[in-house]
Amino acid sequence: MNELMEILESMRPDIDFANETKLVTDRLLESFDIISLVTEIGDEFDVKVKPSDLVPENFDSVEAMWAMIERLQDDDF
Amino acid sequence: MYTIIENLRNVANKHPNKAAYISKDSQLTFAELDSKVSSVATTIAKAEQPRRPVAVLASRSFLTPACFLGIAKAGCFYAPMDPDAPEARLRQILDVVNANILLADKDHLAQAESLGFKGRIILMEDAVSETPDEELVAKAYDEITDDSPIYVLFTSGSTGRPKGVLTSHHAMLCYLDGINTVIGLNESDIIGNQAPYDYIAAIRDLYLPILTGATTVMLNPSEFAMPTQLIERLADAGVTTLCWSSTGLEIPAKLGAFDVDESGKMGASKLPPLRRVVYSGSVISNPLLRKWQDAFPDTVFINQYGPTEATGSCSYFVIDHPVEADEVISIGRPYKHYQMMLLDADDKAPAPGETGEICIKGPALALGYYDSPEQTAAAFVDNPLETHYRERIYRSGDIGRIDENGNYYFLGRKDRQFKHLGHRIEPEEIEQKSMHIDGLNDCMCVYNEGAKMIYLFYTGTATSKDIALALRKELPSYMVPRKIVYLEEMPRLPNGKIDRKAVEVMAQ
Repeated sequence: MNELMEILESMRPDIDFANETKLVTDRLLESFDIISLVTEIGDEFDVKVKPSDLVPENFDSVEAMWAMIERLQDDDF
Repeated sequence: MYTIIENLRNVANKHPNKAAYISKDSQLTFAELDSKVSSVATTIAKAEQPRRPVAVLASRSFLTPACFLGIAKAGCFYAPMDPDAPEARLRQILDVVNANILLADKDHLAQAESLGFKGRIILMEDAVSETPDEELVAKAYDEITDDSPIYVLFTSGSTGRPKGVLTSHHAMLCYLDGINTVIGLNESDIIGNQAPYDYIAAIRDLYLPILTGATTVMLNPSEFAMPTQLIERLADAGVTTLCWSSTGLEIPAKLGAFDVDESGKMGASKLPPLRRVVYSGSVISNPLLRKWQDAFPDTVFINQYGPTEATGSCSYFVIDHPVEADEVISIGRPYKHYQMMLLDADDKAPAPGETGEICIKGPALALGYYDSPEQTAAAFVDNPLETHYRERIYRSGDIGRIDENGNYYFLGRKDRQFKHLGHRIEPEEIEQKSMHIDGLNDCMCVYNEGAKMIYLFYTGTATSKDIALALRKELPSYMVPRKIVYLEEMPRLPNGKIDRKAVEVMAQ
């Protein structure tokens, strides 16, 4: 999860990712951040984030994003 | 005098119970809108003289356009402010506007009170409930003439101070009539609003319903982060019309809303009944536009061009074929009420097919920049090609070319301005703000068009995190560079100036 945290913190150093649980719902992450994030997650973790994965529940917290990444990695096997 | 306010009364009489605006769980009918506009106009007429600015700090609800129109009906003009903008930016806008009155909704009252505003703050919820005093309002309304200002919208300024584009009632009606002559909305149409209200593109979404009886659905900005849900939401709302920024269209297409998986299932499970999609703000990615065209084969797609100073857009091009990746889409011809021309470096008309600066003329031009006579004089000038009488033109700073059919093409900028997320940005403004940050010695801002990423290259002891945090206090989020890159040394030319070309290469 550290790599994910690094990606997030370098993209938006103003957000307290460790404690926020409504990143999308409260509009802390903007649509353009999601585009960068989907690209970087894809490159770093070798997964494909599908349109159906793009729901607030998967992006509202670091834990949720990490759970999604693990799920996507499992899907690949 | 014929204004948008007259239109509102007409449409309210014709369609009193039809929704003008719909947000997620409620709606405002034309009759209710008309009544609230009179209430706000009464509040303003009691507190302010006509032809004065009134600042507005409010969220994207339908009370906000009711306030805009109420301010206009009282003969004043509105200055919308985005509550998401950082405090320093809002203070700068208030400083330029220098209003006596600030309208704030209850969610942003505390924020309004924290801005050091010296005038009177009026709660929007109180203003829309005021008992209308038609006589008082009529007196103020009678002060309006065609050229009275209706709004002042702020854009990035290369001096570091935002520029307030002041626009008249008549100019706004010219644009709305121009676009509607092409897209022909009627009362069966539903518009999906994307643009924030402090942005020029919002005038279509907010005011075309008043001209045509159509309805605008206010989308929540958070819905744009999740593209499949966004498209499904448009479908549920029965949206027929989008007037969005190019970026607004690009995001859902890029995130796969229209991609079909192995099982033949599209990202979005349902599609809206779109009749037309109008976009503007920057050059769109052809492959992403093509994804929209493929998903909506019967929908008309229209490319628009034009700066805030020309009130919305001044030209349009109806795309009549599926676009190819490498073609250049024309910005088309002027809308009704507009004329365009090119000027070369010597202020002469370039030879046919040659490039020149795109200049715009006609009654839809803005009045100028608020409280900035020098900037106004530099951009709004007498037409050098018209020697027999004074004719005002706006010099856009954009370079263009006209083809043999009279269609215009946008080729770039004369200066360093760029378009990002539909907003136009002067890199000098970002650099100026950055230079005030402790530990930053020198910097240069570069835009990577392909990656749609703002870079800031800098020297000094500050960390990129220090810089990002400091800039977030000063600039709107879309202007904060997402890549802040430390350099040991800034590349320089022999004369000591920053070697811009060398820095630009580093951002590619």
